Amino acid sequence: MDSFQIFTTSTSLVDSVDKKLLVVLRDGRKLIGILRSFDQFANLVLQDTIERIYVADTYGDIPRGIFIIRGENVVLLGEIDEDKEDESPLRQVPVEDVLQIQREEMEAKVKREKTKHRMLSDQGFSVDIAEFGELY
Amino acid sequence: MLVELKNGETFNGHLVNCDNWMNLTLREVIQTSSDGDRFWRLTECYIRGNTIKYLRVPDEIIDMVKEDAAKQRVAGGRNSNRGGAGHSGGDQRGGHHSHQGGDRGGRGGGRGGRGDYNKTGRGGYNNSGGDRGGRGGGMRGGRGGRGASQA
Repeated sequence: MDSFQIFTTSTSLVDSVDKKLLVVLRDGRKLIGILRSFDQFANLVLQDTIERIYVADTYGDIPRGIFIIRGENVVLLGEIDEDKEDESPLRQVPVEDVLQIQREEMEAKVKREKTKHRMLSDQGFSVDIAEFGELY
Repeated sequence: MLVELKNGETFNGHLVNCDNWMNLTLREVIQTSSDGDRFWRLTECYIRGNTIKYLRVPDEIIDMVKEDAAKQRVAGGRNSNRGGAGHSGGDQRGGHHSHQGGDRGGRGGGRGGRGDYNKTGRGGYNNSGGDRGGRGGGMRGGRGGRGASQA
């Protein structure tokens, strides 16, 4: 019975070694690379990594190379099914375009937050301005 | 290598030292602010490990690890890999410190009371077929032991 126990520690990563993974970091970045190694802190080594930026129904890739990620910054990771990958409804566009759209969205969001903040403080509420860099 | 901190600042320089906590010293550093539009040149800097988000290293590092592992197999691995795991682990740690990848091997060894666990981690770093065999062996050994004690 015991041998069927599912590990929730970083040991469960053995099966993902040499597979293509999506890793989401605490700052919201999505990294896609091949897991080459890990340790007891779930520090990860990713090879041939790309950073993928999603905006609406498009995405753009930036080649990044080898990453050694400190485990505490990882929100989640999962294997990528390379067969199903092509069936994605998302469109790949040049990274410059994605960055441009992302910048515009970010500015719009900042503007919205500022308005909200002003209205709330007019009502007597004290509001923390959320750090946009820290999504999680 | 490039070090990005949790606050988004980056440090680009040559790794000269590291320890089990991922604390680093770099030389000939270019520091970049988190918004990416201010830069500083530092001759040397020390980075506390727990402030690090990730490290980026040159692609060639992986090849160096492979060569290193192969050398160690020739030098100290005349016994089967699995049997000699504890011994060859020690070798690897020493060997790793000779180049930039050293911090990882060293850290794995430094922490964690569980011997078999550390073997697992260290074997994984070398990412070649032989090492994976070693890792599987470690896991199976642990589980076998548990089963036996129940029976």
